[in-house]
Amino acid sequence: MNREITEKIIIMLIRAVAYLIVILVGYILYDIIRKGAPNLSWEFISGFPEQSGAKGGILPAIVGTLCLVGGTIAIALPLGVGSAIYLSEYAKPNRFTEIIRLAIVTLAGVPSIVFGLFGLGLFVIFLGFGASILSGSLTLACMVLPTIIVASEEALRAVPRGFRAASLALGATKWETIRTNVLPYSLSGMITGSILAIGRAAGETAPILLTVAAFFLPTLPKSIYDQVMALPYHLYILATQHPAADQVRPMQYGTALVLLIIVLGLSLGAIIIRIYYRRKYQW
Amino acid sequence: MKIIFRHFLFVLVCCALTFTPACKRHDKAGSADSGQKSTRYLTIKGSDTMVHLVSTWAEKFMQTSKGSEVSVTGGGSGTGIAALLNGTTDICAASRSIQEKELNLARQKGLNPLEVVVARDGIAVVVNPENPVSELSVEQIGKIFSGAYKRWSDVGGTDEPIIVLSRESSSGTFIFFQEHVLSKADYTPNARFLPGTSAVIQAIETDKLAIGYVGLGFTVEAKDKVKALQVKADNSGMAISPSEETVKSGEYSIARPLYLYTNGEPSGLVKEFIDFCLSTKGQEIVRETGYVPQ
Repeated sequence: MNREITEKIIIMLIRAVAYLIVILVGYILYDIIRKGAPNLSWEFISGFPEQSGAKGGILPAIVGTLCLVGGTIAIALPLGVGSAIYLSEYAKPNRFTEIIRLAIVTLAGVPSIVFGLFGLGLFVIFLGFGASILSGSLTLACMVLPTIIVASEEALRAVPRGFRAASLALGATKWETIRTNVLPYSLSGMITGSILAIGRAAGETAPILLTVAAFFLPTLPKSIYDQVMALPYHLYILATQHPAADQVRPMQYGTALVLLIIVLGLSLGAIIIRIYYRRKYQW
Repeated sequence: MKIIFRHFLFVLVCCALTFTPACKRHDKAGSADSGQKSTRYLTIKGSDTMVHLVSTWAEKFMQTSKGSEVSVTGGGSGTGIAALLNGTTDICAASRSIQEKELNLARQKGLNPLEVVVARDGIAVVVNPENPVSELSVEQIGKIFSGAYKRWSDVGGTDEPIIVLSRESSSGTFIFFQEHVLSKADYTPNARFLPGTSAVIQAIETDKLAIGYVGLGFTVEAKDKVKALQVKADNSGMAISPSEETVKSGEYSIARPLYLYTNGEPSGLVKEFIDFCLSTKGQEIVRETGYVPQ
């Protein structure tokens, strides 16, 4: 067979595989928007659940999800960016650094329900935070940490060596160099990676199942020690545990759509931040 | 780039602040219980099966009892009982009774879990009204659903194949049925797994060889469309048709009680809530949510 034809066929196959992903995402979005959009109303978004989710709205679940996302950012971002700076700028290639890297890879491979159990054991029971936003955010932060570290490290490595060399040559200390010549240029990459990781945290059910989520709460959270409702958990219960599962299906799709909008909103935020910083710093 | 540095400092300070009160809270965790009662705050944890029932109760209870707050969490009966033993919940909702092991653990901790049956959960086995079979034993039903019996003639019907309908594995009823009727055996691979009770009823209405299981509430609504089988607990027992009365009395065997557990004799808001669940209005909610009143 002709080599050119073989190549064309292979390219077509690869293209088909790539398109398949778009079709898959497109179909999921289409299905959820088609069935969920008719249920989106101001009452649904701003109301409290009634008859255990069969009627009313999902405001407490939206607020709860946002609280968890905020808490996760506040905890995971400094930890993740800090470790990334250490690993990429300060750490020497020795046994200890190897152990840290191995730990990060292992952490990334831990199933999310295991994080839930870990959070239950450490934060909820041992440290006595109870089922609370604090416990849930800490658990989610542990889960997204590897992604944030890896993304931040990549972003730091992408800054050319010359920048550091020039700064050091002018007499700046190492920390001054990192602060003024490395961080600003890697910021867009770090933030993009982090937000994408946190978008994933917003949709996780397993880690929050045991550490924070309540199915029904009469009030919005007042402090970080309160339990909250969360969209993924609400969806899980509506879909699996309601005796009249068919009657609450519209509510399920509405909840799913809201959750999708929040997660896609976070991703969109990441894209906007990336564009903004790309324009600001060019080299 | 001072700004970025300041931002980092700010986040670090936020984290530090987050943890400082955490330590304080840890110190007084022991006395938090009595403090909560005075603000009329009640937590209920436990069974996922009951989470809808309990949260509907909570919602209506808060309307009648102003100034009280009730939070409801699922997680499973086991999680609820563990929380009761840890003292992290006031009431535990459970779709199974407490085990001996758990009771021993509670006694070691000086706790005294008390159970109240607040509702029952009955499952009816349904067939097409044209099907001549009208009574089966639990063992026979188990063999049909696990695939040992493949034709209606095996259980005294016509010589035609049995179409087994089941709910999806995410359904709580699926698991309950598997544990209590199939003796934990797997469903036959030929079973059709349908997404909801109404799908089961529709399928049975049109297919005279089909058999399925639905919550008791649905057999009342769909009594013209499907026939609920009379069930014998064992092969020599009486055939009992499923109804509120037979589930209540315990004669109908594919049923289970649903419990609320408290630590010691209920008092204060805990007692008020349980009394509400057992009241006429509370039991009306049980019926509305598809379970059998106590």
